[in-house]
Amino acid sequence: MILVEKEREQKDDGRYIIFYTFEDEAEEDEGSREDSTS
Amino acid sequence: MNQLRWDPTLGEWVAYATHRQDRTFHPPAEYCPLCPTKPGGFPTEVPRESYDIVVFENKFPSLKPDAPDPDEPGSALTPTAPGRGVCEVVLYSDEHDATLAGMSEERIRNLVEVWADRYEELGSLDYVSYVFIFENKGEAIGVTLSHPHGQIYAYPFVPPRPRKELEAAGGYREENEGRCLHCDLLSEEHEDGRRLVAKGEHFTAFVPFYAHFPYEAHVYARRCAPSIADLAAEERRDLARVLKRLLMGYDRLFGFSLPYMMVMHQAPTNGEEHEGIAHFHIEFYPPNRTADKLKYLAGSETGAGAYIVDALPEETAMTLREAVEGAGAS
Repeated sequence: MILVEKEREQKDDGRYIIFYTFEDEAEEDEGSREDSTS
Repeated sequence: MNQLRWDPTLGEWVAYATHRQDRTFHPPAEYCPLCPTKPGGFPTEVPRESYDIVVFENKFPSLKPDAPDPDEPGSALTPTAPGRGVCEVVLYSDEHDATLAGMSEERIRNLVEVWADRYEELGSLDYVSYVFIFENKGEAIGVTLSHPHGQIYAYPFVPPRPRKELEAAGGYREENEGRCLHCDLLSEEHEDGRRLVAKGEHFTAFVPFYAHFPYEAHVYARRCAPSIADLAAEERRDLARVLKRLLMGYDRLFGFSLPYMMVMHQAPTNGEEHEGIAHFHIEFYPPNRTADKLKYLAGSETGAGAYIVDALPEETAMTLREAVEGAGAS
């Protein structure tokens, strides 16, 4: 699990909305393997 | 209108939010305000075609950051205060028919991350004393929107039930050479074993010895972590794993998606010291006592605060444990 993005926006009526986007486990594992060999 | 009125007979605040009478009530699925906004479709709360996990301010909040001073002044005996705080909605998924129990362990893990982030961010506000994370699930609980979601109330005070629990833990600590009440309860549950429901590496789910609902279950951190934000990465992963197992067991229990209230108890964010007193845990209160009978909070429970329960925790824990094991989550 990696939190890729936390985007905060304002709605038309002034309330906030936050979008959390995550990278899935498989991609994370792949990514960490790449990091470890680079 | 958001205002607080003090009840001096019970020593607690009551929140009034009259605009909530107008909130959306059981809309048809095609007009769900929590689904993504589809091209050409009606605008929902989420102005995107898809999303992972979303948090937004409740349109019908019980507490508001900018709540004005109340028109009603009250009196010295019964003061009023602005209903100042934050109410958020947490959308677990953009799939309308999903449930927490049916989600992957990974998505629940991501949700734990969001809960921790909200605890930290809301708890850092100077007018927030307690971040209360919860989910009401199912029509039996009074849910008005079926899309999978939870809520967060950031209160300007420590609400009565967590406060009572903290006071009990504080008293226990004083009388027992600094020991944590929750750690000792968990030790007793592990030693006894009859009420255990699911055990992970860092979390344990059990029906407490003193359960107030037949199938009530508590999920305790084994380490004395004051809040969800204090959990290490591996603990967060294990919490997701244990939650998934418990929730799958709940759904297997009677063969349908079980309604419940899920609430988190943790350290207040009022600047006071809670180390060794607050112990992060999650409590589930399903209203069902059988497949087709509900436990109502009637005269004794509501008027006297004394719960009468129809089944012993040792028996319900055994049934729930078998359901968890039969549900087969890893």
